[in-house]
Amino acid sequence: MKVTIPHMGNVYIAARALFEGLGVDYVIPPQNSKAALEIGSLHAPEEICLPFKIMVGNYVQAIEQGADTVIVTGSCGPCRFGEYCEMHMKLLKRLGHQVEFIVVDAPKAIGLKELMARISRLTGSSPRSKGQKWHALAQAVRIMRLLDTIEAKAHERAGYEKVRGSCKHLLRECRQEVYRCKAPEKMIKCLHDYNKRMDEIPCDNSARPVRIAIIGEIYTVIEPFSNLYIEDKLMDYGISTKRLMTPSWWVGNTLMSPTRLNSLSIKKASRDYLPYNIGGHARECVGEAILSWKSGFDGAIQIFPMGCMPEIVSKAILPTIARDKDFPILSLVVDEMTGEAGYITRIEAFVDMLERRRSHAVSGY
Amino acid sequence: MKIGIPRGLLYDQFYPFFTRFFTELGAELVISPQTNKSILDMGAQYCVDEACLPVKVFHGHVCYLKDKCDLLFIPRIMQLYKDEYICPKFCGLPEMVINSIPGLPEVISHPFSATSMARLRQWAMSSASRITSNRRRVSAALDAAANEQSHFKTGYDDQGYPIKVALAGHPYNIYDTFINMNIKKKLNQLGVGVITEECVDEDDMEPEVQSLFKKPFWTFARKTYGFIAALAANQQVQGIVYISSFACGIDSVIIELVGDRTGEFPMLVLKIDEHTGEAGVDTRIEAFADMLERSVKLESNHSPHGQCVYRCKSPV
Repeated sequence: MKVTIPHMGNVYIAARALFEGLGVDYVIPPQNSKAALEIGSLHAPEEICLPFKIMVGNYVQAIEQGADTVIVTGSCGPCRFGEYCEMHMKLLKRLGHQVEFIVVDAPKAIGLKELMARISRLTGSSPRSKGQKWHALAQAVRIMRLLDTIEAKAHERAGYEKVRGSCKHLLRECRQEVYRCKAPEKMIKCLHDYNKRMDEIPCDNSARPVRIAIIGEIYTVIEPFSNLYIEDKLMDYGISTKRLMTPSWWVGNTLMSPTRLNSLSIKKASRDYLPYNIGGHARECVGEAILSWKSGFDGAIQIFPMGCMPEIVSKAILPTIARDKDFPILSLVVDEMTGEAGYITRIEAFVDMLERRRSHAVSGY
Repeated sequence: MKIGIPRGLLYDQFYPFFTRFFTELGAELVISPQTNKSILDMGAQYCVDEACLPVKVFHGHVCYLKDKCDLLFIPRIMQLYKDEYICPKFCGLPEMVINSIPGLPEVISHPFSATSMARLRQWAMSSASRITSNRRRVSAALDAAANEQSHFKTGYDDQGYPIKVALAGHPYNIYDTFINMNIKKKLNQLGVGVITEECVDEDDMEPEVQSLFKKPFWTFARKTYGFIAALAANQQVQGIVYISSFACGIDSVIIELVGDRTGEFPMLVLKIDEHTGEAGVDTRIEAFADMLERSVKLESNHSPHGQCVYRCKSPV
């Protein structure tokens, strides 16, 4: 059995640590690229959302390298992501690939027994002891959290750094170095090291950079290829950005959701505008917009793939928030046809507008 | 008290329930007319760009009603069956409308779950609170409405046509004759009868749905998939006409699943949006009808793609 996973931001690094820890054979698909997207757009249904297409590309490229089992999470929120596994299975079968899927779905939908059976298909092929398996999982979660922390720091400090580009450079170096270490222990050590170096980047704390919150559909905000590396672009402009949606947030939120105690602050913030959970992360998007306004951000950028059902609802609500709170929000829709030049123009115009708002004393500064 | 009910989305399926309920409470109803050009234009003007056509049309109906009623009823249909959902846009429909259209009257938008009578009662009590505080009256109105709905039958099952096709899609795309340009009439005129999913027994659909790896969590997906797969498997129809609104998330999934299940079975997917031109639709329907007619005459199946894949098998 040779397992693989689809890409989503830095998840592949944590997945590598998990598979190394478990001692199972694995393939990490090549980094997301135009090539992967082209494979996806060729085979996927025309109107499906962007993440589906990129993931098809990942699978096909991983299969070319010998993968025969895909591990993917499921969901039953009424958004299309829940149907991905079924469609991917059928699509790959039609393309003539013999590949098995291990779908980690919520126990509510498939039953706890089925969930355990599915997980044991992965863990069963591992030669390690039970204790070692748990240890591997714990280490992978730890690596994910550290990565998310380092990334968040880099995005925030990019507005304050004395030498433009130092945060971005260090973040890139960190990803490469961590991926180079094989053993999970070494990865953690390396991450701690970079975490410290990130803190030591010379910063000008008197700077007042433009601060932007990145909100929207979870895959397109986390996976930089799908949003045309928006966070890197904003780092280049010297803008401090923040994004709440991270893989580790998702894990925590999903585990907590049966208790209904997950993301209480977001639920509270979104109450006036979208009091119900309508699926996907629409409510989180609305909540985050309010929260970022409360914490003094200059604006927010919403990103979602073309046709994303929950985010269309939040897109209808965001202009009201922008009006009520005097808080500019830019909505960007991405798909395989998104042209980079037009995309950059819109971001630059938005950033310029945020900067000028300050100098014209319309925003209370 | 005048209550406005927009004739959009699932109105065609549930109007007996909603109209009876509010009439029993003693309210006067204002119902928007059948979709027309000005309603569609108003909808396209106010609605968020990315939304699908039926949602835009719904916005248009609300626009029509907003100055003509004291209370506006926007159904927030969350669930019709247990563990199934409709579409995220239905759950957030009131928010979409309220935030897109200025100057609305007060809105009734309590979550509607038809999974049990208790949940319905909950909905009825909160929805009626602006009209009457008499709980007994609300309860009686709910019972009458539920009774009315249970006797309500909808759906097409044409008899006596040489060719029959399955007319699939969301109910609001099938029954709104303006946005689908009265496709049923067009098909009938070409000698093609239609059958819709309401006229097929759910027991026939069930095995097809069960054969999926994961049970679809959308009611639309489960029913439409089961309907098409069952009819195609039994060869009860000669083809499928699927009316789909542009950028519909659920349709993108159903069409893929159905295509995978039925393979070479003739299927015509008609995309509709606010720009659809009627001439193009006519051409496509005529071509499809011609193809079906010939395949019946020649007693062989013609590939829906234009390649003659069955040549060697053809008895002619």
